[in-house]
Amino acid sequence: MDPDEVEFLGEKSLVEIVPTFNSAPIYFIGGDVGPFRASIPIRVPLWVAVNLKKQQQCKIIPPDWMDLEKLEFLKEEEKSNKSFVKMPSDHYMIEAKLILGCAADDIPKTDEIRTIIKDIWDIRMSKLRSSMDDMIKKSAMYAAVDNLTLMEINSIRPLLPHALDQIYRIKTNKKALSNRSQGTTSTLSESRTSFSSKT
Amino acid sequence: MLSTTSYQPNYFSIDDILATQERTPCKFLQNAPRMGKLNPSTDEKDLKAGTELELPLWLVLDASAGRQMIVAPELPKIYREAYREILKADATAVDLHKFNLYFYELGSYVKYFDRREDVHNILLHTFITRFRFIMDLANNADSDPTVQNRLDMLERRLFKSGHIARTKLNTWLLDSGAPLKAANMVTNHRKRKRVDDDLFA
Amino acid sequence: MFAEKACNLIKELSRCEEVLPPYHTELVKEVCTEIKQLHEQNKEDGAIVANESSIAGYANALYPTLRIGSSAVKRNVRCLLAYHYNRLKTLRTMRWEFGSILPQDIKTNLSSDEIEWFTKYSRSFAKYMTSIGENGLNLCLDLRPPKSLYIEVKCLMDYGKFELSDGTILLLKKDSRHYLPRSECEELITQGVFQHIV
Repeated sequence: MDPDEVEFLGEKSLVEIVPTFNSAPIYFIGGDVGPFRASIPIRVPLWVAVNLKKQQQCKIIPPDWMDLEKLEFLKEEEKSNKSFVKMPSDHYMIEAKLILGCAADDIPKTDEIRTIIKDIWDIRMSKLRSSMDDMIKKSAMYAAVDNLTLMEINSIRPLLPHALDQIYRIKTNKKALSNRSQGTTSTLSESRTSFSSKT
Repeated sequence: MLSTTSYQPNYFSIDDILATQERTPCKFLQNAPRMGKLNPSTDEKDLKAGTELELPLWLVLDASAGRQMIVAPELPKIYREAYREILKADATAVDLHKFNLYFYELGSYVKYFDRREDVHNILLHTFITRFRFIMDLANNADSDPTVQNRLDMLERRLFKSGHIARTKLNTWLLDSGAPLKAANMVTNHRKRKRVDDDLFA
Repeated sequence: MFAEKACNLIKELSRCEEVLPPYHTELVKEVCTEIKQLHEQNKEDGAIVANESSIAGYANALYPTLRIGSSAVKRNVRCLLAYHYNRLKTLRTMRWEFGSILPQDIKTNLSSDEIEWFTKYSRSFAKYMTSIGENGLNLCLDLRPPKSLYIEVKCLMDYGKFELSDGTILLLKKDSRHYLPRSECEELITQGVFQHIV
């Protein structure tokens, strides 16, 4: 998946906005949005919020976790923990990027918040890289990916699954392949260990 | 369009055909009438038992298979002990491309020429040890394009797909919105055309 | 060496990714000749070997020669098929990226069979797209998740007239800028006529 496809999935998460207009509900294939009453807060999908904000039809109320103190705490926890800490939102990076990108005026201390979220992301990415390396080196059978968000999991695609595919391919016998490539029915190692094996 | 699936050789795969074209040493166990032309160092019409030659892997595989072997295959030198020791010492320092462009693929075919599992083990060891190196190369968005010259075909594929994904993620992190783009082939076609036009202007 | 020419066909393809080198008619012909010659020889040798009982057949002096000969035929056939198969695969991708009309310099690299195949593929592709839903569905559209209904584009070449679905006719000139529904211009972006301005 490309990052913008992951973003598309993340855009379905709900955020609270304060509309500046009145409107009857809007009916979409994916569900209804509204009705809108000016100054009455309402929860809408992120993509709706971003579109309304761009037309200056609403104010976006930042999610609870988008708060400097809470994020500082989260960052320390992420640093001191060997495994991944649970993030306050499954799409924290997407929400941060879109909300901070279009509604900087609705959020206090935008720059600090942006920096600290990027710090948390960087810490997690470097953890992810070393655990990938570890997993391959130790030939581990599985790895726990608890608490990773979709964007983070997607960042190790396609490299990790492809590398695992290739290791599997090196590990498993290639007998079957050498048969197919030139259409012989015997197998090399068999024919070498006992000359009486069937052709 | 870049393939999203991992390399999996099949009858039509270009890389598998080229890997099986690599020359492999072998020794003829029987006379082969009229096959003297396989041996460039003689003008004789027939090929005599006992002749040692380097032949393409596809022929060695076929001729050594089955109940009656026509040739006895031998390990190419890059999989023999001296080279294995180099890889054991520090696989990341090796220019694998110089060993062979199809190091893993060729290795997976010829590992059966040796009854011990030494070749099998060194393939696995090399891949696992070099993984971090490839991952770091791919993650380094503006890495020097010549670095991939030290990779074998399989590693190059991993590097490329990883690098493309990484570049997309970095663009996403930095940019406000992903613009729609011309198709890959179209862009490349136009670039080439511009070069051609410049050449013939 | 046997099948060397056939392998050269494959090498030609491997040297260029996403590009089709000129169809090598001569070399393909030569490979076919090699296959025919090998096959004739194998038939002769095979008849001699088959004349003996099965155990003696292995002991026949010609048996190794026959094995090598048949291996060479298989190798030649594999390379020849792979050459054509992989070219068609690239050609199929081209239909999705360039649209139904290929640039002239690409077309000159195709064999007449390949041009015919492309036309037929294009036709069945179009037929399939019109058969989806009530009004058909253009599968070359909406390849990326949408961000907004309208987008700004810059025209990269003198394209000429372009009709929108509501009948409006635009004159597309190099460097002209337009604000258009995304669905109207996506294909022209893919084909490199428009550049999307963010």
